[in-house]
Amino acid sequence: MTDWDGDDPAAEAAEPAGGSRAFDPRMLEALVCPQTHGPLTFDPARQELVSRAAHLAFPVRDGIPIMLLSEARALD
Amino acid sequence: MTNAPPPASGPAPSGEGRVTHFGFETIPEGDKASRVRGVFERVAARYDLMNDLMSGGLHRLWKDAMVDWLAPRDGMRLLDVAGGTGDIAFRVKRRAPGASVTVLDLTEPMLLEGRRRAEARGIAGLSWVVGDAMALPFADASFDAWTIAFGIRNVTRPEAALAEAFRVLRRGGRLLVLEFSHVAPPLLERAYDLYSFNVIPALGGAVAGDRDSYRYLVESIRRFPDQEAFADLVRQAGFERVGWRNLTFGVAALHSGWKI
Repeated sequence: MTDWDGDDPAAEAAEPAGGSRAFDPRMLEALVCPQTHGPLTFDPARQELVSRAAHLAFPVRDGIPIMLLSEARALD
Repeated sequence: MTNAPPPASGPAPSGEGRVTHFGFETIPEGDKASRVRGVFERVAARYDLMNDLMSGGLHRLWKDAMVDWLAPRDGMRLLDVAGGTGDIAFRVKRRAPGASVTVLDLTEPMLLEGRRRAEARGIAGLSWVVGDAMALPFADASFDAWTIAFGIRNVTRPEAALAEAFRVLRRGGRLLVLEFSHVAPPLLERAYDLYSFNVIPALGGAVAGDRDSYRYLVESIRRFPDQEAFADLVRQAGFERVGWRNLTFGVAALHSGWKI
């Protein structure tokens, strides 16, 4: 880990100053579905993290993933 | 313990009838998370003040002690649970700027406050995730250390949080739990009871306008298992070389365990 100090241009771009924050897609390397422990995909249009196995979509608000089953939207 | 209520009826073995404690109230298990969230959403902005009131300012030294014991190193992958305002994360980053720190909290306002503080202090490289300690959104064996400071007593089923800690830690990974605990000398315990049951809710009412939330916090401390009983829970979750250190005569305790 050498990019903690903000030198990484991707990190700078992902966190614009002020206003609503963008989700940093690098977080997908660590995050899994809290129910199935399966992978998640990011839907930038809806600002959601989708767990296909659980048929759930977790909201991302102000760049922060809300990984609570109680906040997840059920998918068809 | 003259302030102790009648003991709660034992939890039903399973199903919807399961109950847990919310301070000294006994409530359905399903209600606890939302009620705890309510408390922390109400007190988020005054959280440091609350900790100062409840610990006489000592929580800062206790958190330093926790990070000392953790001895963070660059490259360490740390998950700090219930770490909303960043108190542990910032200390870790100060000691080991190359550590990878993920802060998880049940409540969004606490994390937003933490992220705001991180930016104000110029601390980068932290990940902020809203999540449940009992259902972590992380893969097995993905962290070197799992910490929780003054959060475990607010978890509906602490044993479920410990099981999740065990799951996400790698072999050789470390668990550290800092929590208000049980004061050993009886006279001191009585004085502390008088202070915490009478003074803290009054201060909380006066300072934050929210006496009930502070009363919950005091009651939840008293309901939490003592040092020996909590160490047993840590062992039952699978941890080894389990131990603890009392801080300030046991007003707080620092528990440690290893996933061997």
